[in-house]
Amino acid sequence: MSSRRPPRGEYIETDTGNKVARKATLVGTQNIMLGGKTVIQPDVMIRGDLIRTIQASSQAASGAAPNNTAVSIGRYCFLSRGCCLRPPGRLYKGAFTFMPLRMGDHVFVGPASVVQAASIGSHVHIGAKVAVGEFAIIKDYVRILDGTVVPPNMVIPSFSIVAGQPARLIGEVPEGGHDAFELRDLYKTVGNNPQPAP
Amino acid sequence: MAATPYTYIQCPCSDPSTLGRPADANSPTGTEPDEDDRTFDPRAPRSSYSLYPLEHLLYCEDCHQIRCPRCVAEEIVTYYCPNCLFEVPSSNLKSEGNRCTRSCFQCPICIGPLAVTSVETKPDPTLLAAPDNTAAPHSGPYALTCSYCHWSSTEAGIKFEKPNGIHAQLAKLRNGGTTRLTAKERKERRKDPSYRSTATEGGGPGDENLDLETQFANLKAFYQNQLADPNSGDAGLAALGDLGFSSPTSLSRIMSIYTGGSLQDKKAKSRVGAMREALESDEGLQLANLDESAAIEALQSDGHDCTASTTQLADQPPNLGEHHLHGRSRFTADLRPIPYLLRTKRSKRCPLCRHIISKPEAKVQTTRFRIRLVAGSYIPSIAIRPLSLSGGSGSSASGSALPGALLDPLKPAHYLLTFKNPIFETIKVTLGAPAKTPGRFASKVTVLCPDFEIGANTDVWDEALKDGGGGGGEPGRERRRQRRGEEGGGGSQGNINNNNHNQLEVGKIWERGRNWVSIVVEVVPASLRLDGGGDAPLAEDEDVLEIPMFVRVEWEGEPGGDEVGSVAGKDREAREKRELAYWCVLGLGRIRQ
Repeated sequence: MSSRRPPRGEYIETDTGNKVARKATLVGTQNIMLGGKTVIQPDVMIRGDLIRTIQASSQAASGAAPNNTAVSIGRYCFLSRGCCLRPPGRLYKGAFTFMPLRMGDHVFVGPASVVQAASIGSHVHIGAKVAVGEFAIIKDYVRILDGTVVPPNMVIPSFSIVAGQPARLIGEVPEGGHDAFELRDLYKTVGNNPQPAP
Repeated sequence: MAATPYTYIQCPCSDPSTLGRPADANSPTGTEPDEDDRTFDPRAPRSSYSLYPLEHLLYCEDCHQIRCPRCVAEEIVTYYCPNCLFEVPSSNLKSEGNRCTRSCFQCPICIGPLAVTSVETKPDPTLLAAPDNTAAPHSGPYALTCSYCHWSSTEAGIKFEKPNGIHAQLAKLRNGGTTRLTAKERKERRKDPSYRSTATEGGGPGDENLDLETQFANLKAFYQNQLADPNSGDAGLAALGDLGFSSPTSLSRIMSIYTGGSLQDKKAKSRVGAMREALESDEGLQLANLDESAAIEALQSDGHDCTASTTQLADQPPNLGEHHLHGRSRFTADLRPIPYLLRTKRSKRCPLCRHIISKPEAKVQTTRFRIRLVAGSYIPSIAIRPLSLSGGSGSSASGSALPGALLDPLKPAHYLLTFKNPIFETIKVTLGAPAKTPGRFASKVTVLCPDFEIGANTDVWDEALKDGGGGGGEPGRERRRQRRGEEGGGGSQGNINNNNHNQLEVGKIWERGRNWVSIVVEVVPASLRLDGGGDAPLAEDEDVLEIPMFVRVEWEGEPGGDEVGSVAGKDREAREKRELAYWCVLGLGRIRQ
């Protein structure tokens, strides 16, 4: 960023290329990891405050610094307006704890969707008004259509198209459809000086 | 039908003109002019089976032809469980069936995933992961619960002693918790004389309530005995096919056919009654339970809500219900957890040359492909955008016309078709569209520029470097522009040309970039008004304006067929002329009624 202060835009653009809307609600920012080039639109909520309260036994034994990452997001993710990322929580050894939410690259989360998955792979498209239940595992190249309710603990394997309440497999992503998950072009269309879509 | 606008491409496999012809149908024969004149009708009932979006199509490099999901030959690479993502070897598949034999189950009510929970404590998902949960030991019994609809296997009376090996435990359990005999135990029980005596003592024949597998096993054993018995007649043998070839009677019957002994035949006829039917439950006789008062009572008390839907019944794994066919579980309370059906990774072959055109890596977790020849990297993609010419400055492509807006009948509308060239050669595109769309409501179509060239899909960096050095465009493109009579001073490629130059002119390209060209199509949508009462009402999707368009692509390729890694500009001695032609359908939008 240059010394001259740029005009205050709608988005905060970081050095790593993240575009975070000023109107987004990020709670516990120190526990949210952004991989870079990620877009966070207004009214998005990320619950970074829901951190793991019990450390994994291996980590506690080794004496390593506690890993407090609650939400980790890869590169070129796109969080649409009004969506919510919330780490899943459960009872573990008799006590309640949250677990981190991990998200790969090129993940699109549609408007007004709530995501409580344990892990989301890369190249995943989550439509609008989708609810992803706690500890769901979504692998790579998955398309979740609008209005789907993914039940807790569900595993969605790669190249699935799911829809319905509860989610059921309705198709497979064709071989030629892999490029449609790329979000590089979409990344350029938002921000303080957006470029038109090609 | 998908949301408009859309582009569907017809796979030539279902085109009657290419059926029964050699693969190189490209060479013009000229013998069947009527076939060449034939316009593809997107509304024909067969058409919807041959139209695919570009993403669904593959391309065979050896046949130089588009391949669709219908015409490729699939081969299964890997079987895996979609829940635990474990690969299942094909040998297991033969013995265990096509369902996951680990602890992966679906809810019979809502098909959500089931989790093993302890029955004693409140159901929680604790047991799912934590392998070291010795701190808080859960003691059985366990049940499968659905976290979506809160169904529990206890509703069907199924509880498990251990939290692991659920599939094996469930195989031994009937609904209600009573044990079910496995095949091995059943066999042993048949041999047990003490059991036989008790079975025959109690009541009349066929009293014992046999489950489906036991009854089938009993029947099979009984009839096999009958067949092997030389004293039984061969009356029923003809229907049983080769089952009876090992028996002496069928041997004598076959001999009688060849020796022509009619006397033998008469003898056989006299022995018709020698083969008898099963009379006891031990032999597989099961009396039908026609007393349905229990079912009626359940219906009266709980209503239709407690009955299972057809989809729920269809999802039930076969041969797992212990009920006989005629009282088959018609109530949701009788449904059992469904083990996950396995999924597959499949490779695809060209049906003609048998070359593999798509092959995923065998490992379940990887998403890479060894071979992936998709049509999108060989044939130009076509994007449709409405073009609004109204408004003083509104000549830019992204005009005020909203995509998805209704088309006004009898009012000319303009659409921008953007062709994008994916290959590393310059291609020449020729379009052909009927002046009027087929169907009851014929809209007028005019392709303003049906013949144009698209630049090669060169490296983006090459282009940028050239732009920075020369200031102008690529020399070749510049020449082409001049030849086409366009203004060369439009600035760098990819930018929108100066507004005033973009006028609708026949034979002129609207806009062009490095590897794309936009042309304009003018349509006059038909009026959907039905005159007279004799006409049939508007059918579903009949208001969608669909244009059939014949696309012919010509380019000069290397003879080796090695399109990858070749950058345009290198001089090649022998350039091979290639051609690809196919029908596609442009769905522009719905016409206002």
